Amino acid sequence: MFVQILFGLSALLTVGCAIALAATKNIMHSCVFLLGTLLGVAGLYATLGADFVATAQIMVYVGGVVILMLFAVMLTGGKDFVSKAQNLLGLAPTMGNKWTYSLAGLVSLVFILTNVKLISSIVKTAPAKTFTNEMPSTVSQLGHLLIKDHVLAFELSSVLLLGALIGAAIIARPKKNQ
Amino acid sequence: MTPATFDGLMPIVILMAIAVLLFLGGHFLSVYLAPKKPSHLKSTPYECGEEPVGTAWSMFNVRFYVVGLIFIIFDVESVLMFPVAAIFKEMNEMGEGGYALIVFLSFVSILIEGIAYCWKKGDLDWVKSFQLTANKNKK
Amino acid sequence: MNQTIVSYLSKYEFYKTLLGLFGGNESLLAFVIYLIVALIIIGFCATVGGLGTFAERKISADLQARIGPNRVGPYGLLQMLADGIKLITKEDIMPYAADKFLFYLAPLLALVGVFATLAVFPWSSGFAMSDLNVGVFYLVAISSLVGLAVFLGGYSSNSKWSMLGGMRGASQIISYEIPVTLSILAIVLLAGGMGFGTIVAQQKGLPFNWFIFHNPFTFIAFFVFFTGALAETNRAPFDLPEAESELVSGYNTEYTGMRFGFFALAEYIEVFVVSGVAVALFLGGSNLPVNIEVDFLPLQFVEVIIFVTKAALLYYVVIWIRWTLPRLRVDQLMSICWKYLTPIAIFNLVGCAIWMVAFNGKSLAELIFGH
Repeated sequence: MFVQILFGLSALLTVGCAIALAATKNIMHSCVFLLGTLLGVAGLYATLGADFVATAQIMVYVGGVVILMLFAVMLTGGKDFVSKAQNLLGLAPTMGNKWTYSLAGLVSLVFILTNVKLISSIVKTAPAKTFTNEMPSTVSQLGHLLIKDHVLAFELSSVLLLGALIGAAIIARPKKNQ
Repeated sequence: MTPATFDGLMPIVILMAIAVLLFLGGHFLSVYLAPKKPSHLKSTPYECGEEPVGTAWSMFNVRFYVVGLIFIIFDVESVLMFPVAAIFKEMNEMGEGGYALIVFLSFVSILIEGIAYCWKKGDLDWVKSFQLTANKNKK
Repeated sequence: MNQTIVSYLSKYEFYKTLLGLFGGNESLLAFVIYLIVALIIIGFCATVGGLGTFAERKISADLQARIGPNRVGPYGLLQMLADGIKLITKEDIMPYAADKFLFYLAPLLALVGVFATLAVFPWSSGFAMSDLNVGVFYLVAISSLVGLAVFLGGYSSNSKWSMLGGMRGASQIISYEIPVTLSILAIVLLAGGMGFGTIVAQQKGLPFNWFIFHNPFTFIAFFVFFTGALAETNRAPFDLPEAESELVSGYNTEYTGMRFGFFALAEYIEVFVVSGVAVALFLGGSNLPVNIEVDFLPLQFVEVIIFVTKAALLYYVVIWIRWTLPRLRVDQLMSICWKYLTPIAIFNLVGCAIWMVAFNGKSLAELIFGH
């Protein structure tokens, strides 16, 4: 019972903060609502028994990505920053116009339909899962999978992160002739 | 029976709820108990007694962002290392310690490469690289 | 397996009596037990936080050959109550240009982040509220909310001092999270699990069984962890976010009354949490110095006392360091983190991994005394 309540609360937090994120015009507030959304997603993971993924979600997204986003906003000078850039159609970037709305609507429609088509077969064939009393820890399972079955992916992810680190360092470095 | 895995979540939720309630309680308590005589001067941001100039929300040095980026990379690496570290002992007792060590060390060595690169290129210095480039430009 | 305080208590007879009182509804009983324990823990931690401010002033007075607070109550012990009442009855001032929403939210985030860490805090072998499988990892993750709170507190005040303090605070807290996490990884590697129960249970007995004396690498790792933890809690010599001689009061310059109180409370409880984590990871946790396998309820309280005593000693060291060392410069801060602590922490991690395989997980004492 408690788990179901928690799941519902997490889902509410996720959706509510996502709506608030899109609705608010203050970019700092958007970042904070994003924090709420990410925490809600962590709650969803936790209530589905994925304890490690939930914690990783908090560690990486709440502790890292949101702070990085706030820093990125501060690079532009906070919420009062107004961009003079123009988009492809020659319009000033706003919350949206009829072109962006219709394009985004089309894309999300295609996306949802594809997902429904993909997932429907899984939902039909997979046995119904219920909340079991004793769920084994996901940590040791993950560890064994990472070190045995997916060892190549594990090592490659390290290389990927190295690439990301070098790329980040190069982009953020001041240019010599500026 | 209460589900054992999810049982561990309840204290977290309760503690967070108590934190929120304590915050609200303290807030309302201070609303009732504290004096309220607002004035414009009281609510000016503190700037050593001078009239505040402009807003504090200005552009910030890109160093903070670089530190944040490097942090995220290391953060993700440590998240990936945690489950492997957690089963390292078990693997060792099963006699597969050598294999686990090689996997783990090759992962860490790539991490070391990253920090060595950033160190060499001066991305870990707080001021130096900027001053150096600025001085070079002057010449 | 997650052991919680409810599953621990359910071994005893009185649990069944209690269950009868609740009409056999285990979830409701679990909720009530958790609520009571949470209130006790938070009451205790708030007292520890209050005593922390008192101890800070007394110890600093001792170190500077002063007397310190001695008017309110015996030895000035009630000073913390007086401080609390003062904070509640102070006028609540908000800068006119502040971001109201974030200004309210920041202390709340700090409070939530710190209180949530108490859920896995290993008071004793049975009295941890919840011994999650991901214990230490969860603690590191959720405490990053405090860094966010520091930044948002600094930003939302719209004051230059606050902004500088918040920016510094956020970058300092996230930077020092790396050496801390890597040091914790070394311990996770040795213990073979992330839960506090697993980690503490392997340090039973006399001090040479503690993880700090397990091998030379963990000995260094303890100091890396402790230094990083000092920086994460914004304690001197790493108190740049609230450097009072340069930034007035840093990120909480514009905070008054109760909201300032919540920031201070969160900070002092966090210091206690960090000391407790250091004790649990490196200094033997709540284990008795003798190796006995008796399940006896009063023994748990002895364990709690042992744990709190060790944590309080570390708390003393933290205060002692604050009043001994001068503050770092911001560039020194960053170079200490990235050029000293992080490479040393990686070295320790690699060393521990090699030690595990080379000596089959035996500690230094076991190798010397041979058993």
